[in-house]
Amino acid sequence: MSGMDKRDYPEPGAESIARPASAGGAGATCAGGSAAQGSHAYDLDNCIKCTICLAHCPVSRVTDKFAGPKQNGPDLERFRLLEPAAVHPSIVYCTGCRTCEVVCPSGVPVAAMNSRAKAQYVARYGAPLRDRLLATPDVAGRLATLAPGLINRLGRSNWLRAAGEKLAGVSAALPLPRYADRSFPVLYRMWRRERQGAGVNSRSSHGVTGGEKVLYYPGCYVNYNQPQIGLAVLDVLVASGVEARVEEFPCCGLPAISAGLYDAARHKGEETLRLLKPYLEEGYRVVTTCPSCLFTLSQKYGELLGLDLAGRPEQITDIFTYLLELKEQGRFSLNPAPLPLRLAYHQPCHQRAMGCGSPSLDVLALIPELQVVDLAAGCCGLAGTYGFKREKYPVSRAIGENVRQAMEQLALSEAVTECGMCALQIGHLTGARVYHPVELLSRAFAQAGQKG
Amino acid sequence: MNSKKTDIMVIGLGLAGMVAAARAAELGKKVVLVGKGAGSLTLSSGGIDLWGYSLEQPEKPALSPRHEISRLVERNKDHPYAKAADVLEDSLAFFQAVCRSAGLPYLSNGLGNWLVPTALGTLRPTCLVPESMAVPDLQQVARILLVGFAELKDFYPAVLAVNLQKCGCLPSGCRLDIADVRMSGREMNAVTLAGRLEQLGVLEEVVAQIRPHLTPGTLVLVPPVLGRARHRQVRENLAALLGCPAYEVAGLPPALPGLRLSDALLTHLKRNGVTVLSGSTVHSVRLDEQRRRCLAVQLAGPGGRLEVQAAAYVLASGSFLGGGLKAGPGLVQETIFGLPVQFDPDGWACEEFLDRRGHAFNSFGLRVNENLQPVDGEGRVCLENVLAAGAILGGSNWPVEKCGNGVALTSGYKAGQLAAGGV
Repeated sequence: MSGMDKRDYPEPGAESIARPASAGGAGATCAGGSAAQGSHAYDLDNCIKCTICLAHCPVSRVTDKFAGPKQNGPDLERFRLLEPAAVHPSIVYCTGCRTCEVVCPSGVPVAAMNSRAKAQYVARYGAPLRDRLLATPDVAGRLATLAPGLINRLGRSNWLRAAGEKLAGVSAALPLPRYADRSFPVLYRMWRRERQGAGVNSRSSHGVTGGEKVLYYPGCYVNYNQPQIGLAVLDVLVASGVEARVEEFPCCGLPAISAGLYDAARHKGEETLRLLKPYLEEGYRVVTTCPSCLFTLSQKYGELLGLDLAGRPEQITDIFTYLLELKEQGRFSLNPAPLPLRLAYHQPCHQRAMGCGSPSLDVLALIPELQVVDLAAGCCGLAGTYGFKREKYPVSRAIGENVRQAMEQLALSEAVTECGMCALQIGHLTGARVYHPVELLSRAFAQAGQKG
Repeated sequence: MNSKKTDIMVIGLGLAGMVAAARAAELGKKVVLVGKGAGSLTLSSGGIDLWGYSLEQPEKPALSPRHEISRLVERNKDHPYAKAADVLEDSLAFFQAVCRSAGLPYLSNGLGNWLVPTALGTLRPTCLVPESMAVPDLQQVARILLVGFAELKDFYPAVLAVNLQKCGCLPSGCRLDIADVRMSGREMNAVTLAGRLEQLGVLEEVVAQIRPHLTPGTLVLVPPVLGRARHRQVRENLAALLGCPAYEVAGLPPALPGLRLSDALLTHLKRNGVTVLSGSTVHSVRLDEQRRRCLAVQLAGPGGRLEVQAAAYVLASGSFLGGGLKAGPGLVQETIFGLPVQFDPDGWACEEFLDRRGHAFNSFGLRVNENLQPVDGEGRVCLENVLAAGAILGGSNWPVEKCGNGVALTSGYKAGQLAAGGV
């Protein structure tokens, strides 16, 4: 339903305020589906203007180019409901980190309001081609793995990066993520063949009769940039007697949501659900390693895109929550070997937005002699594709300064974090080696296995 | 659903909750600290108020807050200080030690109150302030320079000047001048400006505009925007460039001094092994069969459910603003355990908004015994292993008494200590 020529004004005493008319563009509606239908119009009345969201906004802290989460969110939403053109151009500086929503004591969905406002802005005024390209990491990844060596060389060429900044608006200062020689789906097939060749059957070898079905959802970063994280997941699960399946998914759609390209995001979401739903219907547990993918699947699909996951909420979870469940059932079949390392832990914003802390820390605590120090330095600033944009790179870098300084103060040269993009930024800002927690766990298991 | 086992669970990310968690962690306990939002410390002036005004003359600032509190405790057995003032000195010392180690020292003004100028030109009595607000005695200054920023919202040095002159606290002949600084940029809020001033180049430009107004012996007052994470460097650089210190006045939210304190305490907790879960709401609680003890608290967040099982619980969920209490027509409820709330159904508020007596609803809250255990109307303990601290406690009217952070600090410290069994 396009509302180009018809505006819905709330009538006095009407049961629910009508959805704002979409601002042109096919199907660029602002509300999601069932859950969000019109109801969020009232959310802004819960805002008491206390400014806690503004006080904690990482972007407001470093630039005046962003009017802030309160002004762009609940303040302007009032006007946008009546006049979609009231969307403020500064909304494109929102990173989508969701801090505003986490800190709000009144339960206002500030982040969702800002995200929808960005989509309204993009529907009305368009987005640069660059944003559309950055919003498809799956396509880029598939292309890159055709000739990863060449792509990585090109990506490191100063001349090309300068050209990319001039012509496409992609920052030359931030190195593009390296692509793996072989994508995770390819490595997964090799891994399976190897295991079958060796005649290993994990269920019988460990004598575990869990019988549950587990699907691993890798996400683009593991698929094309860091497939070793995916292999670590498979190994860790096998060590606990669980053989996970892997499916090749398109991008979850978060980069498109972040760019305000809801149509493209919905397209990715529908494609993802088409592949995911059969597993959910069969009762599979879906485990993830990327907090942003998980947050998108479990939260944003329904809230922003009106897509229904149709699974039980606990069916899709992060790998560490799942491992802690196994531990509670006494199914960790190996004791991890000691890893005498001292590392910084960085909590990704989307991990925090889950509201259940960092289950990875509870899992890492099982590894003897491993010292993990919480950086407690807030957002790293990269926000996925945000920091790659020429005009936003300085903002991204300024936000990450607290992380850089905390690493320096704590005299740490290695870090661990769940989010691939955070890892990239920490590496960029500090030169530190950054692990995914599951890599450390896999290493500790492997060493224990060698000893055993 | 996953469960997490811990020694102590603290609910609430305000001052009371954070201090309770810090004290329990110091006593070697495993602590999980949970909050729905960021806690109202973010909105506070940054000062630690113990007691603002004289009991007999409510318009006169209290010369010795400790003295007023000891007399209050004799008179009013229902005030939270009557339950927690026994740890007053310990809690202040603990708080100051934590803040010092976090690089945000808090200073006392002998045994008395500081009188901190506010953005409106009034004077605010408060007991402990960060270094940046430790303004010297105004009775001794010959000239004051107020610095304003054209781009800063919600701060008008002219208003400050007029009211400060009216308040009768300046010596006769004291001159007040204003330096209006213009920066390149759009309208800014305090958070953005504080971030901007962390850049040395920007600070130099600002100082270049202040310097012409400066004469030796001038007291420089600025809005509370001198940096956030790097507040120390900003103040040191500013003092070096100006040749004299500058002091922050108390301002409106978003207020950097409160924010710095919140940041510092949270970082202290995380670095000391406290598990902090923000953005989760309490979904339900599990009690034992006799309904005497709490066995677990279930949390809900976008990431699903989590059950926390603890030996003891500290409830520091705040009052109406924080969401610890909920009001409806003729009733007030405690939102998590359904504990009995002490309130007067007939007297919620005074006619006058700014009545000196304060509004009764601010003093609604839980009644507790000496051990900070919530009790019912007959004085019977409701849940043995649940302790309450901070603004959820009834019996204090903090907006007029100026004791909000003092009550949060003392009761939070005591609750953390008792929960840890350290008494």
